[in-house]
Amino acid sequence: MVKSTSANGKKFTARVAVVAAGVVSPLGFGLSETLDSLREARDCVNRVTRFSVAQCRCKTAGQVPAERLLDEQRNRVRARRLHRASHMIICALGEALTQEPQFKPELTVIGTTSGGMSYGEDYYRSLKQGGNLRHSPTWIANYPAQKPVIDALEAFGIAAPCEVVSNACASGTNAIGHAFDCVRSGRYQRVLTGGYDALSELVFVGFDSLQASTPEKCRPFDRHRTGMVLGEGAAVLALENFNAARARGATVLAEITGYGISTDNFHLTQPDPSGIGPRRAMERTLQSAHISADAVDYINAHGTATPFNDTAEGKAISELFDRVPVSSTKSMMGHSLGAAGAVEAVICLLALQHQFLPPNINFRAPDEDIHLNIVANKAQPALVSTVLSNSFGFGGTNASILMRKFDA
Amino acid sequence: MSLAIAGMGWITPLGSGIDPVWERLLQGDEAQAEKITEQFSNQCYSVFRVPESALTSSPRHPRLRRASMISRFAAAAGLEALQAAGVKLDSQSAERMALVFAISNGGVIYTKRFYRDIVEGSAQSASPLLFPETVFNAPASHLAAILGITGATYTLVGDSAAGLLAIRMAEDLMTNEALDYCLVVGAEEVDWLLCDAYRRWRLLRLAPPVEPFGRIDRGMILSEGAGAILLRRDGPIIIEGTHAGGNYRKRAEAEELMKRILCDLSRTKIDFVISSANGTFIDKAESRVLQQVIPDAFVYTAKPALGESVGAAGLWQVILGGQALHCGELPPLLHVRRTIPLQISPTRVSLAAAGRAIVLGSGVNQQVAGLRLSIR
Repeated sequence: MVKSTSANGKKFTARVAVVAAGVVSPLGFGLSETLDSLREARDCVNRVTRFSVAQCRCKTAGQVPAERLLDEQRNRVRARRLHRASHMIICALGEALTQEPQFKPELTVIGTTSGGMSYGEDYYRSLKQGGNLRHSPTWIANYPAQKPVIDALEAFGIAAPCEVVSNACASGTNAIGHAFDCVRSGRYQRVLTGGYDALSELVFVGFDSLQASTPEKCRPFDRHRTGMVLGEGAAVLALENFNAARARGATVLAEITGYGISTDNFHLTQPDPSGIGPRRAMERTLQSAHISADAVDYINAHGTATPFNDTAEGKAISELFDRVPVSSTKSMMGHSLGAAGAVEAVICLLALQHQFLPPNINFRAPDEDIHLNIVANKAQPALVSTVLSNSFGFGGTNASILMRKFDA
Repeated sequence: MSLAIAGMGWITPLGSGIDPVWERLLQGDEAQAEKITEQFSNQCYSVFRVPESALTSSPRHPRLRRASMISRFAAAAGLEALQAAGVKLDSQSAERMALVFAISNGGVIYTKRFYRDIVEGSAQSASPLLFPETVFNAPASHLAAILGITGATYTLVGDSAAGLLAIRMAEDLMTNEALDYCLVVGAEEVDWLLCDAYRRWRLLRLAPPVEPFGRIDRGMILSEGAGAILLRRDGPIIIEGTHAGGNYRKRAEAEELMKRILCDLSRTKIDFVISSANGTFIDKAESRVLQQVIPDAFVYTAKPALGESVGAAGLWQVILGGQALHCGELPPLLHVRRTIPLQISPTRVSLAAAGRAIVLGSGVNQQVAGLRLSIR
């Protein structure tokens, strides 16, 4: 096998195949429902039902229906003791393993921001109000961020160790990116990766307190955008050494070809307005894949619809790319934080497989300061070979991955 | 792939600075317990806190003005590790350094305060200043800003094994030749809310001592602080290999997992093991496995002296292993109340010829990992 060194110094020996994927989000349960929602440009954001939002500016979020989530669990008795974050990741992993039942990862790398946070809330409220703490051992046991991942692995008899990445809103993309590097370096043959997050009151109120979330529609890159809405979900991708996957006759859904990470130290919650952080992440991704910007056919933007993010990201994209189609699918399902990068990677996978551009809904008027080619309001058929997905988070963490269509 | 430890730093309930804390451990000192009381009842807990005096020399930086204690601990340990390695970062070298951060409960004090305001008041009482500090990667972000790191920064969340998993991740990252260094930091802060949670889980002891390898699992004492190691490709203390371990479903399964890790790591002669025994169920599992797999190796745990610092624990263990190899001795193992079939010593032990050690990271929340150290 020929070893070479990329522009950013990475020794690599292996191509990296995505051999299976699964997803649960407000867009639907599974790849098929997600594809339908994307093609029909559905707005899957609605009024929050899980906790009171009476005192919040924002009242809406993208939510995964609780009853159906429970219905989808194979072991309902056990499922009742688990957090809904576990339910989501179990559903997503179940779908992936339906495609690749024999997939045995050596490592699991999953992103999240808040683990079983709502159980932490239940526990604190009960303590504070002198309420019934009979369930507290269950709440405490299911609160840690690694627990939903371990639950999902256990549900399918997978024994791989897990690394739980918590890089704020970039967690999912960072997890996939690191998993990609692990396989590409030749140290691992198979890595399971993805991200999850379930809506919680603490996080919802947190973004509301920062006035980052909007009482209106989420309008990424729009001139009149007023902020984000939150979401939730889980997605997993099974990554495998390309040659090994081909040798055993596995179906290659797509390849991951590049990953870039950067940290801008501007502010804990705001990006550097120059866009240097996102720009570095995207540049490093292109370098890592050995391609130029004009080879990219579509960008799934971080696109939270906050004034700060979209300006910085828009500036970075327009400096690097020439009128490449861009959309933020958060407009349809909200920002699922640690799951976002993983769900959006699955959306990119669907775009590659089904040759279309996912829409940026609720878009009315372009921002004069953001010079992007927005896929406005409707999905569009297109020839799509290479896509880039961005995720940026608190703490100035920025991550991008590149995916390429594979023709057998 | 092997990595070397270029520098180490820590801040602990026994103070800060590698050599002063190590000297206290050798003398058999243990941290002074502090009583803290639950807010909603009179339940009292003992914790090992970082003494204020240990923070006097900690760095001053605008990012740390409003930051949580966990971020201050991390900054102090991280900067000590860099200083010990003689590494000064400029914009070019900072790009060639990655930061991997291990954490378990994160900024629990600010998280509790933020949510308390919501519960006691309303969503409108929630502080926009506190919320960003509740995010798991806030401490890593502050440290990256202080050091000027612009490349890879990762925060890993887990139990006491998280520190070793972070070193495993660093090992994977260092296959990238664009990196010269990886700084691995583990940190934790303590609060009554955590004490209450661990008590309800029957893992906590209300007052010291922590009695490792006891007949009865009397529980652990929580502590706080941070540990940091700076990794590069060569140096005298080598991390010969990491073992990402796995997850155990039930407590009874932890032993099998530990055995697999120890068997894999002990294919060469092991002189001593830095155990994670902390007075809980993991002690018995570790004890049985150590007896079976490497009965001749000396066993040491610092948790009776320093407490269970969860996210920082793995880094402290690696530092202890590195120091023991470097100095050729192990501190006394405190509060072992019975004869157990392990090589342990209530007094300091000379290990002048010691060449290899295993660090075993057994968490109480289902994760186990390990690594092997050697000295050139």
